[in-house]
Amino acid sequence: MQNLVDFLIRFRVFLGFLALQALCFLMYIQFVTYPRSVFFTGAGKLNGQLLAWENQCYQYLRLSDENEKLQQENAQLRGVTFDNYYQIQRPTLEKNDTVYQQRYRFIPLHIISAPTGQRNNYFTIDAGELQGIRKGMGVISNKGVVGVVFKIGKKYSLVKSVLTSDINIDVVVGKKQVRGILKWNGKSPRIGSITGISTDSYVPKWSEVRTQGSTGIFPKGILLGKVKSKRRMENQSLWDIDLLFQEDFRNVHEAFVINSLFINEIEQLQQHIPKDSIE
Amino acid sequence: MKALLRFIFLFFVFLFLQVFLARNLELGWGAHLFLLPLFIMILPFETNVFVLMSLGFLLGILADSIMNTYGLNASSLVLFAYMRPFVFKSFTPKEGYDVLKNPTLSEMGWTWFVFSYGALLLMYVFWFFVVEIFSFREGLLILRNSFFSFAFSLIVALILQLFFRKKALS
Repeated sequence: MQNLVDFLIRFRVFLGFLALQALCFLMYIQFVTYPRSVFFTGAGKLNGQLLAWENQCYQYLRLSDENEKLQQENAQLRGVTFDNYYQIQRPTLEKNDTVYQQRYRFIPLHIISAPTGQRNNYFTIDAGELQGIRKGMGVISNKGVVGVVFKIGKKYSLVKSVLTSDINIDVVVGKKQVRGILKWNGKSPRIGSITGISTDSYVPKWSEVRTQGSTGIFPKGILLGKVKSKRRMENQSLWDIDLLFQEDFRNVHEAFVINSLFINEIEQLQQHIPKDSIE
Repeated sequence: MKALLRFIFLFFVFLFLQVFLARNLELGWGAHLFLLPLFIMILPFETNVFVLMSLGFLLGILADSIMNTYGLNASSLVLFAYMRPFVFKSFTPKEGYDVLKNPTLSEMGWTWFVFSYGALLLMYVFWFFVVEIFSFREGLLILRNSFFSFAFSLIVALILQLFFRKKALS
């Protein structure tokens, strides 16, 4: 007993150090494993409010940029309104609800914190449970995919952005629609990487990368960016493709959460796949 | 008492600077600006190491919870605080430490400050990126991020120390 007490006294500083490090580690575990515990994250009530205030301050600095963006979008939308078109076959333009069912609903939101310097970057958005956001929904901006909802608070949520190492979004590359998986190597916030494409498929430079839409989280065909360069992976017959994102994530402020109305059906169907055939 | 109030005030100033300014700097090359270690650095010499570590932990947790960095800053700051007495011991001046002085640039001189803060900051930065990236395959990324963040944070810390020279003397 005496020895134990001596030991504890002798190494008290180191033991204190270890205890605090263990607490930090617990915080990490809590962050990664419990999707509903948002207390120590930017999606917490107080922190979310702080980030929202900060965002309001910075918003004044980019009003002119925002204006320009809106103007462009206005111009684009003006181009597609039916007022500007001459209706040729009038009856066919009627929308028939029994033929088309709405598949995705878009919830607009602001991104109030978007770090890009970390190895794994989590964005904070100003919409949460109250707006009907659930874990696993996709987030897009008007220039491409932003990420997937990771944690939900009451009013704020965290998004696992495409700037994380294991974001794993299914994409298709080029006109041949070669399938690959999006990852991020942490080097630059403008460059993503695509793996899983074998070297016998033809991937020309600057071919477009779009979402595959196979999991139902994202609609099919959302443009992510273009192929910037490619090289062979060491010891593997796979391409290591660099993708130039169309969206500059250092400067992304407005986005939409995609509420996929069919996802339950897709997931239910996929549950019937036997477990061993997935691997 | 006055000194205590000053440090409480500085605690929040550093937190504010790190969370709302340094976080938003886009420097490229994986460089981050770390300001929080400077706060632990300039606490008085006779501060107990437990107090240092607890303050580091508190400061880190507060910063982490706003920055979504899940304990990275807290972990690195605890390491910084833990190593501070060892580093100070190995850089003791010939005549020993003057109890009345604080470990700042203006009171301890350039050589002492650059070497001891540099050594501590290097450990801090390296620990931060090793824990964050946590993969041997990405060793080069760790080294690159550590190097640029270290250089940049050290320079900014020196500039800040020069800036607030008078305040530190009072």
